[in-house]
Amino acid sequence: MTQPRAITLNALSLYAVALVLAAAFAAQFMLHELPCPLCLLQRILFATLAVGPILNIRFGPRPSHYAMSLLSAVAGAVASTRQVLLHILPGDAGYGSALLGYHYYSWALIGFVAAIVLLAGILLFDRQFSDDGAAQPVDGGVFAQTAVWLVIALTAANVATTLLECGFGACADNPVVYELLEHAS
Amino acid sequence: MEFTLLFLAVAVVMLAAWRGPRTLALGLYAAVLIACVATYLHHATDTLKLSF
Repeated sequence: MTQPRAITLNALSLYAVALVLAAAFAAQFMLHELPCPLCLLQRILFATLAVGPILNIRFGPRPSHYAMSLLSAVAGAVASTRQVLLHILPGDAGYGSALLGYHYYSWALIGFVAAIVLLAGILLFDRQFSDDGAAQPVDGGVFAQTAVWLVIALTAANVATTLLECGFGACADNPVVYELLEHAS
Repeated sequence: MEFTLLFLAVAVVMLAAWRGPRTLALGLYAAVLIACVATYLHHATDTLKLSF
């Protein structure tokens, strides 16, 4: 796999992270389901998955950048596994609504495990790490730049919505109102 | 509040990765990941509400 192709794949992975963050927002605003603390932590770890690809796009693919994403994916898998186990008993309705039969934390676990497998897969291709002389823009071109700014914008939007939800104190275990708006009214 | 700060920190790491020096981005990323693990462990010490 050549460097430009690897960078295109990294840009695609950023769009995938953006899709996950956007889907979480869709559930939050369209279904009025506020994320619990463990749900927020999983969102944060999805966002940290994007740091490796951003570095790959800017500085070129390096094993250390992929390792960063691997660490994030493992941490995310641990957090989502804990939430799956919290609701594993028969009769437990789970937290929030289900999408295609799985709750969001189950989808998150599937997503983090898929990320681990895909990252291991892309690490198999050594040629991306050697400069093959192929001309490529330093910043990966418009496609990659759009992906980077999209994922940064969605993360910044999460700063605002999490502040609205939790306010300046600890987040509620089972949030039902936006704390900051509740105190303002 | 800690989750708001973590999201803010991740956004800063992304900006550092995209515009700043590489070593700064790596250092900030390590700090954020450690903070995430600490936050997880803080919540993971809560008693599991299981019935067995």
